[in-house]
Amino acid sequence: MISEGASIRWGTRAGRSREFEEVALVHLDALYRSALRLTQNRAEAEDVVQETCLRAFRSFHRFNPGTNCRAWLFTILRNAFLNRVRGAGREVHEGDAAEGWDALVQRSAEHRPGGGSPEEEFFQTVLHGDVDRALKALPLTFREAVVLADLEGLSYKEIAEIIGRPVGTVMSRLSRGRRLLRRALGDFAREHGYVGEPE
Amino acid sequence: MNCDTFLACLHPYVDGELGVSDALAADTHAAECPRCRSVATDERGFRQIFRDQPREPAPPELRRRIVVRIRRASLARALRPWLALPAVAAAAALLVVAVRPFVERPAPGVIAELVDKHIAFAQIERPAEFVSADRREVAEWFRQRAGLRVTIPDYSPAGIRLVGARIADVGEHRAAYVVYEKGHTLLSVFIAPAPREADASGTRVTFRGHTYATREQKGYRTVSWTEGGVVFGLVSMLDYQALLECADRLREERAAETRL
Repeated sequence: MISEGASIRWGTRAGRSREFEEVALVHLDALYRSALRLTQNRAEAEDVVQETCLRAFRSFHRFNPGTNCRAWLFTILRNAFLNRVRGAGREVHEGDAAEGWDALVQRSAEHRPGGGSPEEEFFQTVLHGDVDRALKALPLTFREAVVLADLEGLSYKEIAEIIGRPVGTVMSRLSRGRRLLRRALGDFAREHGYVGEPE
Repeated sequence: MNCDTFLACLHPYVDGELGVSDALAADTHAAECPRCRSVATDERGFRQIFRDQPREPAPPELRRRIVVRIRRASLARALRPWLALPAVAAAAALLVVAVRPFVERPAPGVIAELVDKHIAFAQIERPAEFVSADRREVAEWFRQRAGLRVTIPDYSPAGIRLVGARIADVGEHRAAYVVYEKGHTLLSVFIAPAPREADASGTRVTFRGHTYATREQKGYRTVSWTEGGVVFGLVSMLDYQALLECADRLREERAAETRL
């Protein structure tokens, strides 16, 4: 009459978590890396990624299996990040670009290796210090385009989907962001043999 | 393609985002023009800087945390449709008993007795005194029979079937038993007035932010807690995980009824 140690199953819908793990969590590393670049802070990056995954899971039933899961996740990540930034009273302007070159040069000059905060030290072990500083100094709108394209290898179309702008906007942001990076990383690139000497 | 048009599409060219014919035209121009070729080479060099950066993985701890949260959310989602209760069951107070001083965990004596009753039901032909798989009917039976308003949790999504109800005497008090069955394994949810004296036995377990006392007695597992002078408990041969889930469900349904 009594079966010893019987256990229970909570129905097939619980199987969704497994599916989500298989389809979505394979992108966790990429999400985390991008969150690190966007937030510039390890703890915050973890929070954003966790929030992203939970939000994604809650709306997983709306995700169409045939479509691009990576772009979908990055869209959620971006929204989670922007909500935080706005929540913290840090405004994000389309015109962040105005900060531009001068700010970039100035900040690069201010931050010399070895003298940074613990977070900076951490990042230096992750990205090369020069690369990290140059990226950090980019206005957010450019930084996100560069991070997605050049660090994570996403296509223009995917990035357009993620930031909710036309491909043309993606191209112009990438172009401007890269131009700033090139100027900041010119010496680094030559010293390390990534580019030839200028003629 | 000339130098101007080449430079205009330099980024998409290097990124591999040009269409086939444009890409071919750009290749042709780069082969012919050393200046443009060198610009493209440098542009690729800059891309390489980023490709060469270490690609650190997400911390394993973060991954674990997310998986746990998702599995938990998945479980909650699986159960949510059954949370809504019929309006009839919505009447406010749940159990009409004298309010006693708050006791963190029920005394072993009372729990032991409650468990013994359950074991006794499990031995007999008809474990439930009132047989019904209808939660409304069971709730109504408690109300008419003993003037008790009892929350009858719905465990059907977990394959736990409502069998019926029983009222038993435990010490000086009467206890309400809601009897369920998982296959051939009986599960009782009991509700009784909490004993006055505090209890030190049993293992404390925290599950989704709530503390429960768990104990094993004659092969039966018990999960119990005290709230507002009432002991709530589950007893069965089912595993602790199942009992805790059921306990959590009962709490949620009670909370939902109280809100209504």
